[in-house]
Amino acid sequence: MTDTVVVDVEAEVDIAAGGRRDAIIEIAVIYGLGVIVALLVNAALLAALGANPVTAYGTIVSSALGSVGGLAQTLNRMTPLLLGATAVAFAMRAGYVNLGVDGQIYAGAILATGVAFLLDGWPAWLLLPVVLLAGVVGGGLLASIPAWLRATRGVNELFVTVMLNFVALFLAEYLATGPWTDPVAGEAITVPIPDAANLPVMLPGGGHAGILLAVPIAVAASWWLLRTRRGFEFRAVGANSLAARFGGVRLVRIGVIALVVAGALGGLAGSIEVTGVHSRLLTGLTPNFGYMAVLIAVLARRSPVATIPVAFAFAVLIVGADSLQRSVNLPASAVLVFQAVVVVTILAFETPRGRRWVSRLLPGSGRSATDGSPGGPSAAGRGPGGPGPGGDDVGGHATGRGAGTQPAGEGA
Amino acid sequence: MPDEAGRQPQDATSRTGTAALAVQMTGISKAFGPVQALDDVDFRVAPGEVHGLLGENGAGKTTLMNVLTGLYLADAGSVSLHGEAVELRQPADAVSQGVGMVHQHFELVQAFTALENILLGAETATWSMNTAAHRARITELATQYGFNVRLDHAVAAMEIGDQQKVEILRILYAGSNILVLDEPTTHLTPTEVDQLFSSVRELAAEGLAVVLIAHKLHEVFAVCDRITVLRHGRLAGSLDVAAADRGEVVAMMMGEDVAVPEVRPKACEISDEVVLSLDGAGGRGGPTDVVLVDLDLRVHRGEFVGIAGVAGNGQRELMELLAGLRSIQQGRMHAGGQDVTAARVDERIMAGVAVLPGDRMREGVLPASPLYETYALGRHLLQDGFAPALLEEQAREMITHFDVRTSGPTAPTASLSGGNIQKVLVARALAVSDHADGGAMVVMNPTSGLDVGAAAFVHTQLVATCEAGGGVLLISEDLDELLMLCDRIVVLAHGRFVGEQVADGYDRLALGDMMVAAND
Repeated sequence: MTDTVVVDVEAEVDIAAGGRRDAIIEIAVIYGLGVIVALLVNAALLAALGANPVTAYGTIVSSALGSVGGLAQTLNRMTPLLLGATAVAFAMRAGYVNLGVDGQIYAGAILATGVAFLLDGWPAWLLLPVVLLAGVVGGGLLASIPAWLRATRGVNELFVTVMLNFVALFLAEYLATGPWTDPVAGEAITVPIPDAANLPVMLPGGGHAGILLAVPIAVAASWWLLRTRRGFEFRAVGANSLAARFGGVRLVRIGVIALVVAGALGGLAGSIEVTGVHSRLLTGLTPNFGYMAVLIAVLARRSPVATIPVAFAFAVLIVGADSLQRSVNLPASAVLVFQAVVVVTILAFETPRGRRWVSRLLPGSGRSATDGSPGGPSAAGRGPGGPGPGGDDVGGHATGRGAGTQPAGEGA
Repeated sequence: MPDEAGRQPQDATSRTGTAALAVQMTGISKAFGPVQALDDVDFRVAPGEVHGLLGENGAGKTTLMNVLTGLYLADAGSVSLHGEAVELRQPADAVSQGVGMVHQHFELVQAFTALENILLGAETATWSMNTAAHRARITELATQYGFNVRLDHAVAAMEIGDQQKVEILRILYAGSNILVLDEPTTHLTPTEVDQLFSSVRELAAEGLAVVLIAHKLHEVFAVCDRITVLRHGRLAGSLDVAAADRGEVVAMMMGEDVAVPEVRPKACEISDEVVLSLDGAGGRGGPTDVVLVDLDLRVHRGEFVGIAGVAGNGQRELMELLAGLRSIQQGRMHAGGQDVTAARVDERIMAGVAVLPGDRMREGVLPASPLYETYALGRHLLQDGFAPALLEEQAREMITHFDVRTSGPTAPTASLSGGNIQKVLVARALAVSDHADGGAMVVMNPTSGLDVGAAAFVHTQLVATCEAGGGVLLISEDLDELLMLCDRIVVLAHGRFVGEQVADGYDRLALGDMMVAAND
């Protein structure tokens, strides 16, 4: 157990010991290689399906970015991904795993929809903030269950958050087919929320203002982690929870903050989906945003601010895949495989063995720090262990799940 | 296959010859980046020989043994085992050549029994395990070498000393005839050390080659036939113990020009003012923890109090109790004039209770974080606001003041050597103690695994803390350290204080009796 932890630490130390600039170059190379490999694999897949990969890639980019309407769709998609990824990355920094973003989105959406119905008639300037806040509260409430169980009973939050995804989904389904159902629609959706509760449209083509909330929140989360005392305690728990305890950090409090804040961010994503995209509660609200959020957080190396570009890239892919399905009649999943391949490739390069391989590609001699990785020969099996689970490890496992549950297609 | 073939008594008289050397490493060099860890090192061990490998921290002892066990690939040089040139590209190569190493952190599956751990790796049948036959052979092996362990007990419930026996048995049973022990006595009681050494002599008498990576000279002189000394990655010399002189060996380790630093005796009065006290304190933790019972203790300003005891008698529990990680269920605790019985860790830090935990890496540092963050942990409670730039600046001053060897405050903590990490943790504890204008330092095994120079640094700082008006409680398994530094030594056994001696009347044997009397 001790050994695996040591290996992990040494892998991380290697990066830093090589000098900050070298480390950045190495990371850039690893990510570049990951994208190239994913592009090639996906091209092969597209070709096998009878499509011209170049045309297909062109369609993806032009549909997602080539028009104002496309960009609006991309930003709409990016918003829940970014909030969800921030939620996951934030909790991971303290060593907690939040796999419950999907459930938190539903919980936020349920409370937001309920409050919107309840306060019908309030003016927009008051109603909208209250509805969004209701989403925050909903997600936070749902996440307080794993937080409480972890704090008082030591129950692993990973299982509880996953299980609650089902609870929240079924509750949403019950409301959308029962008390709040739209009898005309004939499917699991509720009647629309009042107009005054809808997010203002920012871009033609339905681009709502949610992104203006999501981006500052991601930036603020990173700032809080790096520049505040509590944020330092947070990271200390993630880095070595036992040492943090000796340093006077209150683990229970940090755990509760980590999970409840993460839940609140997921809940906000839910209320934004309701007020910005659908104007109602429905069961297809999140096509596995939660699992994609885990992938994004891992790729962003647990840094909330770094989830911004990664979430954007994922959003481009999703929107592009959608339009590929419509225009070329290719299954969207053929493109979404890309996400999984990119993550797996980058994680493979990030193992000590992969790093050594990468370092050989790089020119210059300043790369020897990696050669000396004492964990090298035995480091293939990285596993979770030690007092505080290393975020990277956990991410690695979560990725496995995420990759296996890629959305098959995108509705609406 | 486990068999006795490799362990047949070999020609023990050939120790001085070169024909049948068990280990012959020639011209070994290994660099990690800009650091030359090993530079043209020769190392030879004959069968039937106990060979001490000496050197300061960072001298290259562990690196050399990692080359021998196939963990590192040397940049230059060659390795021969039993006269045959071998290429050790990975640990499995070394194992198949009969090289086994007992690391400081044992590689045992905690949930398995001793027997299961020993069979792990030795068992070759795929579908069935003929446990009975193995058990008989293992028992025979254990009896022969004096490794009496209960084979059906889970390793997790065993004392460190017994775990070590299991680890050695495991390696012997896997067919090793070259045994490397990495500082095997660090966590052992004096009695256990004696047992281990007699087992080691038995093994050597059977023709095994045993390499002992060691820090303590008197142990090396007690058990080894030959020693090799490394200094700064180079071979400083190799000599027969019979012909060696302690001073000569120290000079080889430290270099001729370096004087061994001496710890100045404490020059201050002990005040009447109590900085730390326990009154009938006690508590029960997890099922495997030692229950602490009715502890009474006073540490005054300027006083240096020691807690002696055999490892596993409640030292860790006492440290955690004082730090606030373990609740005080009976009695009271006071620090800095306040009742801190129910206080949390952070509140005790603010009351001036500075703890230097026993396990540096697990309990002290944020390994992958920059050094200034490790230095800030705990201290962050004492400052207004949180400014990374200020913390970095404070770390820079600390690095200069305490001569910490590192590339700077932003270097990852784990990139420092053990001695330098301990300097940082000592500095951190000093800051907490100073903040309370003479607080209480609780220090556990502060010099374990440190070289002579780093240990002297730690001792000097602790003495200075007393002189500055603080009080020090030193919980240590190293009786020499306690005798050298403390005004008063309290003996902890089975979670109780069973006796006490003051500086003028120290009697090492009587202390030893107290330590083990309650321990039958």
